[in-house]
Amino acid sequence: MRLFDKLRGGKQRKKRIVVIGIDGVPFTYVQQLFRAGELPNFRAIVDEGALMQMDTTMPNVSSVAWSSFMTGQNPGKHNIYGFVDRQPDSLKTFIPTSRNMRSPALWELLSTAGKRVFAMNVPVTYPSRQVNGIVVGCFLSPNVEKAAPNAEVAQALKRLNYCVDADPWRARQDKDSFLPHLDEVFERRIEAMRYFWRQEPWDFFMAHIMETDRLHHFFWEEMEQQHARYAPAFLDFYKRLDHVLGEVRSWLDEDTTLVILSDHGFCSIKQEVFINTWLHDAGYLQYAKAQPEGLQDMAASSVAYSLDPGRIFLNVKGREPEGRVAPGEEYERIRREIAEAATRMVDPATGEPMVEQVYLREDLYHGPYAQAGADLVLAMRDGYDPKGPLGKPNLTFKGPSLVGMHTTPDALLYIRGMRQTSRRPYITDVAPTILELLDLPAPADMDGRSLLNDQVS
Amino acid sequence: MTTGFTIWFTGLSGAGKSTISALVERELGERDHKVELLDGDVVRTHLSKGLGFSKEDRDTNIRRIGWVCEVLTRNDVVAIAAAISPYRAIRDELRANIGRFVEVYVECSIEHLAERDVKGLYKKALAGEIANFTGVSDPYEPPLSPEVTCYSDGRETPEQSAAKVIAKLEELGYVERRVLVAAAGAVDSVYSEEEEDEVTERLRDLGYL
Repeated sequence: MRLFDKLRGGKQRKKRIVVIGIDGVPFTYVQQLFRAGELPNFRAIVDEGALMQMDTTMPNVSSVAWSSFMTGQNPGKHNIYGFVDRQPDSLKTFIPTSRNMRSPALWELLSTAGKRVFAMNVPVTYPSRQVNGIVVGCFLSPNVEKAAPNAEVAQALKRLNYCVDADPWRARQDKDSFLPHLDEVFERRIEAMRYFWRQEPWDFFMAHIMETDRLHHFFWEEMEQQHARYAPAFLDFYKRLDHVLGEVRSWLDEDTTLVILSDHGFCSIKQEVFINTWLHDAGYLQYAKAQPEGLQDMAASSVAYSLDPGRIFLNVKGREPEGRVAPGEEYERIRREIAEAATRMVDPATGEPMVEQVYLREDLYHGPYAQAGADLVLAMRDGYDPKGPLGKPNLTFKGPSLVGMHTTPDALLYIRGMRQTSRRPYITDVAPTILELLDLPAPADMDGRSLLNDQVS
Repeated sequence: MTTGFTIWFTGLSGAGKSTISALVERELGERDHKVELLDGDVVRTHLSKGLGFSKEDRDTNIRRIGWVCEVLTRNDVVAIAAAISPYRAIRDELRANIGRFVEVYVECSIEHLAERDVKGLYKKALAGEIANFTGVSDPYEPPLSPEVTCYSDGRETPEQSAAKVIAKLEELGYVERRVLVAAAGAVDSVYSEEEEDEVTERLRDLGYL
């Protein structure tokens, strides 16, 4: 009896977490808007905690970055390396989904600890894995029904006219008509967020907004160049986002911590860069046919090939189906040779270097799945967006549709009630920080570390 | 020389022994080992039917399970036992008899277990409705140097716990190390061909390919 009484009385008051993901929103851009007197709600929120500039994964694409966020680990442990990947023994390309993610997400750990959790639209959560609560699958879901974990949630999402993602084809066809479409998708997502928020007092509630990334990909340059029509529309979108953040702020009580984060920054595209064209021109890649369509059209004489964004793989004996490079000494020599050559890659129009740095796999990835990572990863200079297609005749390309690209050192992280930290946050630090806020231990194999101990007084 | 061995899961009721041992059983089965799982709750319905929870009965129960593990182990089978097995001396006796013995302690605080109370037993035990309940009215002697310790208080998932066990088996040479590569997405496909085309098209339009 005494023990039972002790258990009753000893129960702590629950602490709750709300996380809002704003995909691709740069720290520096938000600061710029603050200075211009914009985003009053976000401003008020920031006054209640710490807004920090955060570094993200390499490559800096959303599937890798958010996977590292939710697991607190580098890709060598969670196994998500990009939006597309290849099976090494067949070169068949596939889209990595949650089935390929080898580690539990933050909300799954919380779920095991008995917390009620909700996560909506966070990459990579399709197919949704079971939790003590609800996970609505991300933009990789083929449709709304499949994004939902069960029929009841599917029905609710359909009633709310929820959209898995804005249709980028529309942006390619006609930018003017894409804007109202994007607004609508955003509104419906927020409506769904409200609906699920009201359902129960979640211990952990996360909603991910992808629309900012879509806005940036198609309108970033127009915003920077103060395009008469698109720049105001861009700002209008941010005002709507600010309004939503204000609404979320009104939901919070003293026991709820608010976290807002993005997964990378943005800048204008100067040129798209076809890395496979560079490899081909440099003699490392040959095609088996005149118009190669994919990796299956790579000739056996090839030494290396590339996958988006900026990942280079060698054609290794015993790994690739018609591998050419012997593992060991030859592999190391050719890898370093390609890395060195890549740093000398220049913009044909201006002669400017396009590559900031070349990473070796072991620089970036460690863990049981590190071998699945690329042999080399290119970090490009701002403006040079690395792409994967094969057979493009020219090294670079600039089109009217895609105008914005991701940057690595300019993600943002906000945590309510926190002070600034003495060290720069990395995206894998967020999950252990949230666990500590909820008085839970972080698994020993998380790479990130809680930021709470690094706050400056 | 046998290729069999025994994995012995010990821990309080509801700690997660059955959950984790089932995952380990599945993984070893997929690696083509012959495996047998002896779950304490199940064993008490046949092999140890009629035995209670006095010290004497518990010892008999554990020794019986241990004997079956010993027979399986010397016949190239992996024997997995999941039982509270609260007395250290008896567990050590099995270790001495079996030799190829891997002890896994599934640790969880009594507070956590009572709050979770997956089988509703802690409530009854705390109310005095069940006598001789390990952790409440009967002792539990945790292992002093188990080969593996798993935590089920939220700091690792059952899958992570199972992975820890497998990793230790590989380290000790009981199981062959597996070289891990990126899991094939297309083999166990989450998309129909049509769906994959549609999502691929979207990724291409976003400039992600």
